[in-house]
Amino acid sequence: MFDKILIANRGEIALRILRACKELGISTVAVHSTADADAMHVRLADESVCIGPPPSKESYLNVPALLAACEITGADAVHPGYGFLSENARFAEILADHNLQFIGPKAEHIRLMGDKIEAKKTAKRLGIPVVPGSDGAVAPDEDAMTIAKKIGFPVLVKAAAGGGGRGMKVAHTESDLALALTTAANEAKSAFGDASVYLEKYLTKPRHIEIQVLGDGRGGAIHLGERDCSLQRRHQKVWEEGPSPALDAAARQKIGLTVAKAMQQMKYLGVGTVEFLYEDGEFYFIEMNTRIQVEHPVTEMITDIDLVLEQIRIAAGGDLPMTQEEVQIIGHSIECRVNAENPQTFRPSPGKIQQYHPPGGLGVRIDSAVYQGYVIPPYYDSLVGKLIVHGKTRGECLMRLRRALDEMVVDGIETTLPLFRALVREPAIIDGDYHIHWLEQYLSGQQGG
Amino acid sequence: MARQGEGKTSTKISSEDSALIRELALLLDETSLTEIEIERAGLRVRVARNVSIAAGIPASLPVAATAVPAAAVASAAAGTDFSKHPGVVPSPMVGTAYWAPEPGAKPFVEVGTKVSAGQTLLIIEAMKTMNQIPSPRAGTVTQILVEDGQPVEFGEPLVIIE
Repeated sequence: MFDKILIANRGEIALRILRACKELGISTVAVHSTADADAMHVRLADESVCIGPPPSKESYLNVPALLAACEITGADAVHPGYGFLSENARFAEILADHNLQFIGPKAEHIRLMGDKIEAKKTAKRLGIPVVPGSDGAVAPDEDAMTIAKKIGFPVLVKAAAGGGGRGMKVAHTESDLALALTTAANEAKSAFGDASVYLEKYLTKPRHIEIQVLGDGRGGAIHLGERDCSLQRRHQKVWEEGPSPALDAAARQKIGLTVAKAMQQMKYLGVGTVEFLYEDGEFYFIEMNTRIQVEHPVTEMITDIDLVLEQIRIAAGGDLPMTQEEVQIIGHSIECRVNAENPQTFRPSPGKIQQYHPPGGLGVRIDSAVYQGYVIPPYYDSLVGKLIVHGKTRGECLMRLRRALDEMVVDGIETTLPLFRALVREPAIIDGDYHIHWLEQYLSGQQGG
Repeated sequence: MARQGEGKTSTKISSEDSALIRELALLLDETSLTEIEIERAGLRVRVARNVSIAAGIPASLPVAATAVPAAAVASAAAGTDFSKHPGVVPSPMVGTAYWAPEPGAKPFVEVGTKVSAGQTLLIIEAMKTMNQIPSPRAGTVTQILVEDGQPVEFGEPLVIIE
């Protein structure tokens, strides 16, 4: 087991990682930019090292500074969290070169799943159902229209090096295609350094359903059920829940075992999430995330497995915590991502939190690093915290969520709490009857009046 | 990696520890520090001038893991804050500070040395690469704030040049 872990991240996930380290008796090193000197996880860590000025490129993405911090503190492992360097295969390799353990998947799998075209090919080869589309990247003009016609409009133009909901453009009809292709390629080039795009069938009302997996790197892998993350705004998840209101036990078992078997064949190491679009009873693979995800607490609440702790244990050579037969999904859980944004315009609202009261009670969990008096810096994402509730049934979970949202106080900045208070009372949400376009339609309906 | 044996608990302070505590107490007297805290495997020592502590959690600081106790000295947990001093030169990187080009050689600068802008003040080593740190301005070195071989973080006050 590791003696000392360096947490290469910030905000709520850094605190999350710190908690798991402390429970395992592992010393912690918090690295931070100058803007995060007062972060809660920095205050709680055994050691801290300031690694740079606020810009991420000079701090949280600064590989030499991170390595130097490992060197001067004697850390023997690095947990990359999510975002930043968590899916940077080169970073994982550099750590290995320096005899430091990267707490995450094997570099080859990070690389494989990071290229969305290769990921899709791999999924197909492993028996995972995929979205009909171009077989690989599309050359700038000629192939595209023929392929698009074969897939059937509307089609989605996606960046090969994208992911996380970025680098996608819809072409509803043939006349839209040329513009969608050039726009997507240009954006892809500037955002990811790679203009390659591919085409996929655009599903009209799918749900986003993802499967959590855990692999020991030696051919053992289990799935931990699904999360339904259909409620999104600009491809960013806002509300996640598990189990999905749309799946029954049979459908869950079928897709779960398909995914677990694929992970076993890959000899996947660590945690991962295989994401699907689900429409008319069919699953369509979109991508795999080779890291811990923001919404991991949903799975933790319904399986009673500490995923970050398991990441660390498995990275240290440990076995899976249980067999597939022993995995139990109990009750229902919902997570709301509370952001420091205006609840209607979504304009970012950084600044000082004057009053903070997190809700509590049975089945209520807050994953947040803020505190009263904390100043949210303007340089990073706007996540204030995640409110996660658990109930024996979805109905109980919704009532508990309503109560917790009403109790929660975050004053001094604007937050999206009012949005969640409205959503938890919406009939479609209460019925679990929504899809990936639902939230944006709801929001434009709210504005339109 | 092997942990220290759990069976052995000594209630006596070893002579090594006592020498360390004496050294820390001496440092406290010699400088204007009010508190020094040092922690390494199995041992945490705090030496304070006065017992009343200001509200808040004392910040933890990086400590070099060396085999020789006398060499591992933590920066002040509380006390003078040089980061706001007008003549401060903060560290531009993370690493280990060395005042001389190599062990045993004459240091680049000492208290009283007059420097020109761009003149090398010290070396910060990170991952076997030596980085020469230039002075941002001309002036006189009035205070040296880090020990030779001390780990430093980004922004840490290294020296005062006035």
